[in-house]
Amino acid sequence: MTSFLLRADGVLRGASWITRSSRPWTATRDLVLCVCLFGLTYGAAMGTFGGLTGDRPLQVLYSACKVPLLLLGTFLLSLPSFAVINTLFGLRRDLGEAIRAVVAAQAGVATVLASLAPFTLLWYVSAVSYQVAILFNAAMFTIASLAGQRLLRRYYQPLIARNRRHRVLLRTWIVVYAFVGIQMGWMFRPFIGSPNTPVQFFREETWGNAYVIVARLLWQVIAL
Amino acid sequence: MWKWFKELDRILRGDATQLAALERGSVEIPVLGISCVIVILGMIYGVCMGTFALLRPDRPEYMQMAASAIKTPALFLITLVITFPSLYVFNALVGSRLFPLAVMRLLIASLGVNLAVLSSLGPIVAFFSVTTTSYPFIVLLNVLVFAVAGMLGLSFLLQTLHRLTVAEQPRGLRSSPPPPPRPQPTPSTEPVSAIGQAASAALAADPLATMQDATMQGAAPSDMAAETPSAEPVQPAHSGEYQPTGALDRLEQSVINAHVRFIFRCWIFVFGIVGAQVGWLMRPFIGNPNQDFAWFRPRASNFFEAVAQTFWNLFF
Repeated sequence: MTSFLLRADGVLRGASWITRSSRPWTATRDLVLCVCLFGLTYGAAMGTFGGLTGDRPLQVLYSACKVPLLLLGTFLLSLPSFAVINTLFGLRRDLGEAIRAVVAAQAGVATVLASLAPFTLLWYVSAVSYQVAILFNAAMFTIASLAGQRLLRRYYQPLIARNRRHRVLLRTWIVVYAFVGIQMGWMFRPFIGSPNTPVQFFREETWGNAYVIVARLLWQVIAL
Repeated sequence: MWKWFKELDRILRGDATQLAALERGSVEIPVLGISCVIVILGMIYGVCMGTFALLRPDRPEYMQMAASAIKTPALFLITLVITFPSLYVFNALVGSRLFPLAVMRLLIASLGVNLAVLSSLGPIVAFFSVTTTSYPFIVLLNVLVFAVAGMLGLSFLLQTLHRLTVAEQPRGLRSSPPPPPRPQPTPSTEPVSAIGQAASAALAADPLATMQDATMQGAAPSDMAAETPSAEPVQPAHSGEYQPTGALDRLEQSVINAHVRFIFRCWIFVFGIVGAQVGWLMRPFIGNPNQDFAWFRPRASNFFEAVAQTFWNLFF
């Protein structure tokens, strides 16, 4: 356990075992473990909004599973195109390092989220509005993803120093990851679980596309 | 089968289109093997695209998925058949030395790049198809994905055309000056002597090769070393700084004249437009949820008008 926490600490500090590891699979496994464990932690905290009575622990479990699923699902969907485009741009030699860099950034996001979990719990104890709870969680995710981006840039620095083209591919990755991630987040709703609705994993009635809904909303604002 | 995928990987890495590998005036790839890979990758993307029809709210349309899986590879192969004759003829008109088989290999290789990118984006398309009910959104997403894949495929085509033209040059130059006399090594066995002679010829050509090298950006000395028929295994000269040329790298200050460059641009244009229109004729690929399944739809308007209309439909 201590060694795992030490490795998690290394993720935040940009330790060299992550990208320049002699055992890449072990490094990747540790990073994925980091994403799962810390993602579960924040998810569980996020799901406690409706309390812990009745069937509400189920919501805690669902929310806990959703955070690692969101991060890793988005990563896996974006991975094939990332690999092909990296190869096509002549960066195949650095592909392993680049992939570990993006996984490490996600491990960083999960770790930051887990560190913010006590704030979320404190907020839940002090405020009752569901809408505000959503906004608070959105703020936590924003902070975590900004930290993740910073970490990603740090891991990418040696790669960019080696070949400037990595900068373009880093941007491409961020765009694709965000594009998929937003829809993934939309699909996995509810993360928090309104106290007035029954506990469920997916919200069947609001199955849809985040972008279409946002585009319609924007259009309504413009047309009015 | 695995071997063919390895060949495609070689194209993607840019190994197949290094100047050294283009010495013989064509991209050395197995045409049939890569064609099979193209069909498989096209089918994978077709299935990803067809998941939208499979998850219709009223009833799943299995035929649409099957149709998409067949049509996607067909779209690319038909585009190839339509454009090949004119591309070859116009290329020959401007004096390029590409022979029909070389042109075919080049087109197959760039289709391979196109489909590798396309199918790698397949999981994202499938994910959005599963979670979205908006038909216009899926149409536009697919158009975007095809456009990205097409642009990368076409820029591969353009860069490889440039490289093929450049790769033709040193052979012409090299044949003119006779190799300077050089002390013959005592021939112990016949093959070794043959190798020695070949190496000496390569050495003689080396200054020219270096000149050629200077015209390329980022090309490592080892590229030219690989070009020589040396018996020794090729060692990157500066392994620390060795940067292999990517498949899409531009050759700077290349010695291509304006005519040839113009024709190359026309290739890209023709290939893109024909591809879009063939795609339009072969629709539906995705399947409008409000219409019954059909293999083909009646002729109507054109691709670009339809995309604009879809964009409009997204909001209304």
